[in-house]
Amino acid sequence: MVKAKTIIKNAPKIKPKVAFYGITGCAGCLLSVLFNEDEILDLIELIDLKAFPFIKEVNVEEKYDYVFIEGLVASKEDLEEVKRLRENATFVVSLGACACTGCIPAYRNFTLKENYEHLLYKKVEDLEDVQPTPVDMHIKVDHYIPGCPPNKKEILTFIRSVLRGKIPIPYSSPVCVECRQNGNECLLDVGKPCLGPITAGGCNSVCINGGLECWGCRGPSKDMNLELMIKILREKGFDDKFIQDRMRTFAGLKLPMLDEVIKHTKEKVGAKNE
Amino acid sequence: MVYRIKRDELNIFLEGFARKNQLVAPLKGKLAKFELVKEEQVKDIYLEKNTYFPAKEFFFKKNETVFTFKDNKIQEPKLETPKRIFFGLRRCDLNAVKHQDKVFMEQIKDPYYMAARENSYLLGFHCWEAPSKYCFCGTLNLADYYDLMFYDKKDYFLVEVGSDKGKELIKEFKTLFEDIDITITKEEKKIKGADRLLKDDIKGLYDHPDWQKGVNQCLSCAACTNLCPTCYCFELHDETKTSNIQEGKRVRNWSSCQVLDFSRVAGEHVFRQKREERFKHRIYHQLEYFKERYGVNMCVGCGRCIQGCPTRIDFVQIINEMK
Ligand code: SF4
Ligand code: SF4
Ligand code: SF4
Ligand code: SF4
Ligand code: SF4
Repeated sequence: MVKAKTIIKNAPKIKPKVAFYGITGCAGCLLSVLFNEDEILDLIELIDLKAFPFIKEVNVEEKYDYVFIEGLVASKEDLEEVKRLRENATFVVSLGACACTGCIPAYRNFTLKENYEHLLYKKVEDLEDVQPTPVDMHIKVDHYIPGCPPNKKEILTFIRSVLRGKIPIPYSSPVCVECRQNGNECLLDVGKPCLGPITAGGCNSVCINGGLECWGCRGPSKDMNLELMIKILREKGFDDKFIQDRMRTFAGLKLPMLDEVIKHTKEKVGAKNE
Repeated sequence: MVYRIKRDELNIFLEGFARKNQLVAPLKGKLAKFELVKEEQVKDIYLEKNTYFPAKEFFFKKNETVFTFKDNKIQEPKLETPKRIFFGLRRCDLNAVKHQDKVFMEQIKDPYYMAARENSYLLGFHCWEAPSKYCFCGTLNLADYYDLMFYDKKDYFLVEVGSDKGKELIKEFKTLFEDIDITITKEEKKIKGADRLLKDDIKGLYDHPDWQKGVNQCLSCAACTNLCPTCYCFELHDETKTSNIQEGKRVRNWSSCQVLDFSRVAGEHVFRQKREERFKHRIYHQLEYFKERYGVNMCVGCGRCIQGCPTRIDFVQIINEMK
């Protein structure tokens, strides 16, 4: 976990040099930065925006204080890019689920090559199949802003915090904490496969507030009881294939123990729906 | 002092409040909870069962701004609450208020809680019988703690006065209340089917292996503490503005002993790493530590933490079965 430490004193006299880069991804996380419409001009005042190729024509390649990386490593170019960024950055932030966990694109890890190869890799000649992996499997990552897409406010909170000399502590408690405070009905009680209990919150339980179960897009919570979650979902009538698929959809490569735990978890458990 | 009000006049009484002041009472919804009730909603007040969510958030608020700051100056918020009538609080809920009063008004004087609590009137609704299978208030020695208490007698309600504030309300609506010369005895007040907890004390049981039955079923999801009317732990954090990072507010929100971060201190030391320690801490705070400090159990036996638990961990049953 990241420790709070002083980065810049007397902020914002010295503006930190910041860059936003995207590798393989959908650009949704970069868009989340821009979705802060009301505050974006204030943000530009706070930082020295050196590079943001998604929206900027001129991008300065030099040493940065903070680099945000969206996307996962899925090609040779991605790999070179993250290495270059790491070398040039004091502090690297993985922005969004792909960067943090591998997310949906990492699903390729769990299926056989013959299931997908013909769809793309055989059609485009110079595309090489590199194992799709989150950023921290290749370079050291200093901070994570997870989510698909990430909470747009969390990006600004991070920047404001470092300017005040603090690295914010990532929200690690399960989604249920915010969900219950928001007064929601628990979706597990109505038989939906909600992954809130094993997922790190910080999203204000936005999906459940809207009636949809949590799919785990912010990645596993620090202290999840994975075995129990599996038992509960079985009790609700979901089979192991469904459970495995659902849990991997957004948690990507951050549940490496899943197969083992499913294998070793025998019974069902939990409350019957009332 | 006991009064009587006719069944069909109760709504006139409550509508009178909703019109002039604020009325807070249970409404059904998907899950019953205490809400601000408008005059035309009085007929929808839900009294069949106790509420899923407690009334706690009206006094001990979620995400409350404790002060705002700009550069080096801080500004405290104006704390004013209009006169508020709470109706439909059960014996457990009333005692939960009593226990939070001890925490926020006796030992320390918490201005935010006190401001929210000050202008409120507590009107209880008696359970003749436990409305939920999770209830266990019966053996917890709950006290009479209300301004007025309503006892449902089918055609009418008996109304017991518990304070000067209660007396004042009766006076205000004196045409609706008939003074009758009876007392409601302790025996009559006894709630049927609520004597589930069979042990007075769990002091010597901390290392009992049976706790594991609960721990194994626990997700550390904090539904229990969030739904509990007595849990009072909170965290504080700052929210700043992008237009001026030295400007913003300090916010207090509910926190929970069930999550890892709760006991993390500077230097990244976490005092309750194990799920077992966290699970037991809640129950020991509710049934032991609070009693050592304040002389009463913190838990009021409302059973919400069991009803709301995704796996319905019944710690009462676990305790009862401990040999
Ligand atoms: S709906 Fe999901 S996130 Fe909310 S309390 Fe239930 S399990 Fe947790
Ligand atoms: S509720 Fe779950 S799926 Fe939805 S944003 Fe939060 S973590 Fe992601
Ligand atoms: S715990 Fe007791 S007072 Fe509370 S609802 Fe149940 S029976 Fe009524
Ligand atoms: S509600 Fe149940 S599962 Fe969740 S933390 Fe409390 S005891 Fe554990
Ligand atoms: S610990 Fe459970 S039963 Fe006791 S007051 Fe809290 S929610 Fe009610």
